[in-house]
Parts: sequence; structure tokens; C-alpha cells
Amino acid sequence: MMMKCAEVHPNLAAFALGGLDSEEETEVRRHLALCPSCREKLAEFEEVSQALEAAPPLADPPPYLKDEILSYVRAEKLPSSTNEELPSSRDSRSKNLPLFVPGVAAAALVAVVALGIFFGLHTESPVATIQLTPVEKENYWGVAELHPQPSGNQQVELKLNNLDEPGPDSYYEAWFSSGEEYIGAGTFTVTDSGQTDVVLTAPPQVRNYPTFLITEQSATGDTAPSKKVVLRGEAP
Amino acid sequence: MGLAARSIIGGNKGVRSLRSVMAQRADELSDDQLMKRLDGPEVESALSALYDRYSRTVFGMGLKLLGGDRSSAEEVVQEVFVKVWRASHTFDPSRGSFSTWLYRVTRNVALDLHRKRTSRIRPVPDGDLHIAAARDSSASPEKVVDDSWLAWRISRALEGLGETQREVIELAYFQGLSQREISRRTGVPLGTIKTRTSSAMKRLRRGLAGEDALREDRQ
Repeated sequence: MMMKCAEVHPNLAAFALGGLDSEEETEVRRHLALCPSCREKLAEFEEVSQALEAAPPLADPPPYLKDEILSYVRAEKLPSSTNEELPSSRDSRSKNLPLFVPGVAAAALVAVVALGIFFGLHTESPVATIQLTPVEKENYWGVAELHPQPSGNQQVELKLNNLDEPGPDSYYEAWFSSGEEYIGAGTFTVTDSGQTDVVLTAPPQVRNYPTFLITEQSATGDTAPSKKVVLRGEAP
Repeated sequence: MGLAARSIIGGNKGVRSLRSVMAQRADELSDDQLMKRLDGPEVESALSALYDRYSRTVFGMGLKLLGGDRSSAEEVVQEVFVKVWRASHTFDPSRGSFSTWLYRVTRNVALDLHRKRTSRIRPVPDGDLHIAAARDSSASPEKVVDDSWLAWRISRALEGLGETQREVIELAYFQGLSQREISRRTGVPLGTIKTRTSSAMKRLRRGLAGEDALREDRQ
């Protein structure tokens, strides 16, 4: 006995997608051959099925992209009243991107994160590469490359691996030290384990500070370098 | 104590909370309202909401237009959303929807990227017949881009589906499973799967028609 329209209708979308069992498909075909109304409905579904052929791949962009874009926008929107504005040495995609030394408010904390990934690191050879070794967690490692800038400042490019997200209300901070004296090079955070690229700027004096440290700092605690050193290295 | 000025990090928690509230509100705004906010203090929450709505489509289009190269597609996403922010003042809702405007931005960014990449490629030596043949047989980027409007529309229509509807379409169309196989895989009764498929296809059709109505605005 042939299917009725009411029985065919729930199958038409699946029919258009080729998703019916062969027996059901045969039944639907028999009905369609004699029913203009159902053929009309099928045509609507077939139109969608054809459009699906044009669909782009269903894929999510990598999660870090959003942060990079927002960081870029944040960096460009920062008021010029920050402590120091430095000339950019980045590539053409970010030629107007201002860089800022630490001293901006909390909103700037994440601004430095991943700028290296987004804008690409410049190709000049670094004046020094510092190998960073873990202090507590053995899987932490990385390098810090120092690039002198025309202004005399040092651009510090960090390539860090496996750093965990800092604890609640905490952040990472880079330091140059000589004995008991420290120069802060900037703060950053990480949102994901894996590789983190960070670009910071330090004043010219860091050339005389041979030890490089990354500490985990409490947002509510002292602004002096904390004792929680996560990575350490010595300038060659 | 260091010579460089110290960061002022206090109050970070408060900033996070505020941002979260702003993001929640931004989610409820229309695309046009969000575009207006890109010029104001709520730029981040507005751009974030637009990104959440459209990044999958933009990324998918990047993949489609640039031969499946993820790195290039990521670059398209970056360029597009920075352009959205920078050029938000050029968006005029009376001339077309945000989706249509964003389609144009995406298409142009992808095309520019393709041209830049192509211009960097040195001419293929005559002797390299394999590469030369492959290049000759490929459609021009302009042709690929011309075909992209339908891709954009169907992608937007897919994004408009609910989770369960999108699931059945992905399994049925993109993975080629039969309705019965989908039922087995998901543990959902066959009748329900058929109903979901039917509803999803109807919704996709409405979504396509919605974008179609704006087609004349796209150029």
C-alpha cells in the first residue's frame, strides 16, 4: 500500500539528504511519482541540500585568536597618558601599534599577551638570547631574546613553553636583576598551557643586569619581585 | 626596587567582573547596535560579541577561499575583525545588513591575501609541468570569490541552527550518516531524528531566504 502524504512529509528532508534506508527511499519515490504537492515540498529541501554543497568547512578558529585581536584593539585604544610610549619595530601589519612599558592600569595587563603571535616577530638577529630554565616546575622552559631598539630600549621577546595559567589574582612578571637590584620588564599572563609568545619592552639599563627572571606576582601583594620565581636565565 | 615604573594591578578582579557583565549585555544586542558601540568605551565587549557570532563563518570562508590553509584562514580572521573595528564608521545599516557588509570585508581580505601570496610566488619554470598544470587547472581567485556568497549564506544559516538541529545536519550531510545511523549514534529515537532533520532543513531554507533578500545590497 502506498504511503500517504502525511507519512511522506517527515521523510522528505532525509530523502533530500540521501539519508533514508533503501526500503523507505523506494516508498517515498513511489509516492513522489504520483504526488505533485510532495514533489514541490521536496524541491524546497533539495534547494537547501544543494546550498549545503557550497558550505565552507565547519571549523572553529583557534581559541587564542580572539584574545589576540582584543589585545591588539586594547593596545591601540590605550590612552597616550601612559608612562612611556615607544616606537614600534613591528612589521607593516602593525606599524602604528604603540608599545607601552609597565605602568598602565590593570586593563593593560593582557595587552602584551600574544602580540608576538599576532603581529609576527621581527627578523633582526637578537643581540642576546637567554635560555630560561625552570626553578620549580620541570616542564617550564623558554628563551628570552633581546633586540635593541633605536630609542635605546630593549625589546624582549619571550617564547615560553608549558607555563600554567597564574593563580587567582596573580600574573607573571619579567625582571632583569643584578645582585639585589631589579628592573621590571613587564607583566603578562597566559591563558593556556603550551607555547606563549610575549613581547615586552625594557629600559636600556637592563644591559647591565645579567640575570633574567620570571616571577609569579600577586595582584594584591607587594609590587617588589616575589620569591615565586618560575623561570630563570643568565645573559651570555 | 626596580628602575622601571611598576604596574598597577590592583582591582583586576573588579575589572574582570565588569567585563563579564558587559559581555552578557552585549550578547543581547543586535549587530547594528554592537557596531555603534565599537566607537565607544564598550568596544571590547562589542567586538567580542561580534566575534562570537561570526568568527566561525569568517574562518570557514578563509579556509574555503584560501585552499584549506589554516594559517591563512587565521590571518583572514585577524584582518577581518581588526577591519571591523577600524572601519566600523563606514558601516551604514540603511544600505544593508551587517552580515552582508562583513561578507564583503571577508571576501576582500581573502582576495587581497591571495593576491599577495600569489605575487610572492616566482613564475613556474616551463620544465615543471606538474606544478604548471595544477596551477592552470585551478579556478581564479575572483571566480572562487564570486561563488562565495552562497557559501556565506549557508554558513550563516547553519550558525542560526540550534545545537541539536546542527548536530543532525552535520551527521547527515557532512558525515553522510543515514537517519537510522544518526539515531543509533546519538541514542535519540529515529522519529525524533527525522523531525529534527526536517525542522533543521526548513530553518536553513528560511535562513538562506533571509540572506537572499539582502543580496542586492552586497555590491
